[in-house]
Amino acid sequence: MLEACVFATVLCGFLGIILKHNLVMKIISMDVMSTGVIAYYILIASRSGLFTPIVDNKENVAYADPVPQAVILTAIVIGFSIQALMLVGVMKLAKNNPTLEASAIEENNTP
Amino acid sequence: MTNITIAWLVLPFLLGFSIYLIPKLDRIFALGIALASGVYAIQLFLESSSLNLQLLDNFGVSLTIDRLSSFFILTNALVTAAIIIYCWQTGKKAFFYMQIAMLHGSVNATFICADFISLYVALEVISIAAFLLITYPRTDRSIWVGLRYLFISNVAMLFYLVGAVLVYKANNSFGYQGLLGSPPEAIALIFLGLLAKGGIFVSGLWLPLTHSESQSQVSAMLSGIVVKAGVFPLVRCALILEEIDPIVRFFGVASAVLGVGYAIWEQDTKRTLAFSTISQLGFIIAAPAVGGFYALTHGLAKSALFLTAGILPSRNFQELQKQGIDAKVWLVLTIASLSISGFPLVSGFEAKIITTKNLLPWQTLVMDITAIGTAITYAKFVFLPSNLLTKNAKEVVKKDEKTKIQSGFWWAVTILIGGLIGANVLYYEVYTIPNIVKQLITIFIGWTIYLLILRKLILKLPRVAEKFDHLIGVMSLMLILVFWMVRI
Repeated sequence: MLEACVFATVLCGFLGIILKHNLVMKIISMDVMSTGVIAYYILIASRSGLFTPIVDNKENVAYADPVPQAVILTAIVIGFSIQALMLVGVMKLAKNNPTLEASAIEENNTP
Repeated sequence: MTNITIAWLVLPFLLGFSIYLIPKLDRIFALGIALASGVYAIQLFLESSSLNLQLLDNFGVSLTIDRLSSFFILTNALVTAAIIIYCWQTGKKAFFYMQIAMLHGSVNATFICADFISLYVALEVISIAAFLLITYPRTDRSIWVGLRYLFISNVAMLFYLVGAVLVYKANNSFGYQGLLGSPPEAIALIFLGLLAKGGIFVSGLWLPLTHSESQSQVSAMLSGIVVKAGVFPLVRCALILEEIDPIVRFFGVASAVLGVGYAIWEQDTKRTLAFSTISQLGFIIAAPAVGGFYALTHGLAKSALFLTAGILPSRNFQELQKQGIDAKVWLVLTIASLSISGFPLVSGFEAKIITTKNLLPWQTLVMDITAIGTAITYAKFVFLPSNLLTKNAKEVVKKDEKTKIQSGFWWAVTILIGGLIGANVLYYEVYTIPNIVKQLITIFIGWTIYLLILRKLILKLPRVAEKFDHLIGVMSLMLILVFWMVRI
């Protein structure tokens, strides 16, 4: 059930990238998609248990898998910086294309 | 060797950031990085055994360094060096050289890493550095082209990430070997990411606009080496896992045909080169075992061609036909074009022959036809009139242009062409008469077709498939295609 929700999020993001006309909306859709991907990593990490993998005096509790979490942390940082970079690009484009319609910008800038 | 490897891997990033601290030494640092990679690659080539490293514990970074990587690293070193020298007098800012250093370092990293997450990080750094290089002129067009590139590669990498975690779920490891025991959807998702990043088949149709609208030195870098960062993992996976091999080969053939099909009809020099890149990448993965050498020769020739296309008076072939080009420039164009077409005496010949030898029977016919297509494509460059032969009246104008070409260009081209001819020593044993005759016939057929028919024929192919929305949409189709191929 959770898995289905996660994939629905990814799919929503993906369709948003295609169907939304505004460039900012496209970027937000991409963020939705990456949220889905991150959630999937967390889901996989919780296969073996839900406890945070920190050394504690409790014995024999089901810990979550730390590896996917560590990996997705890197991916979150990268995704976030890419998004920041894209938004800066969009800000620059907004000067001459105030509506930010992707198709109009594309038409103007394709030889 | 372990310590040297780590030092060499870190060097570009260390020096790259130092460039910002000491902007005066920018070019020297950047060139130093390229030279270090060159020395390292040669040393790697001489060592026959491969090196496997496991850094930072079990789930850390794993690296595999062997002869295949050494070809790619050498290509990277030569192309980067040539581009830095080309830019030496152009007054680029320290920022530009810093990005070149970052790009160089992360491309190197993709050539040695052996697990999906290191690969992911390296590919994303490449995206960012390439975006910053593409948008360096800060014009609206360059920003749009860069944004489009970043968007497509990031979406592809999101799919890739899902694939990577599926591999982890099946094997508890992110290593390339894990691909074998993973479900087909994992392979499909990972392949989708790599195909889009590497510019192969229909997922590579973002490439023509990006490569043709960037500045010529940036397109040389992108076409010469950056796309190979996406191709290399495919080659590596195909070599490790026999089950994957036919799929990779299929995409190689499909990409080769698609690229050439577009390139023949293109009337714009840089777009022709970009489409030809798609096709040549297909050649690299069509025979994964010898892809390294092909990548080397293609990288050198393609960068030389892009740099030269940047100094031609026009980008339109018809205008160039009328105007004619400088004889020396023509010579450079011709040598590089002959190399890609596979003409003897240039190392492209050896690459073509060993690739053909490693093809499977079902690939051979299609690839032979594609080779003729390649010859046709490059005939467009070879048969541009040079001023030495035609003696145009506009000599005064040409003189002006001649002084405009900076000496950096000649040095850069010397490195690339020198590399192309020097690489001949590697597989000199393929210089047999049947091989030479076969290649000459292929090129002859290609040139004849060009001169008799295609020179006069103009056909404009629609660019619908290159629209942003379609590029993203095609990803979902590719996903389904790869999925079914893996299932079968």
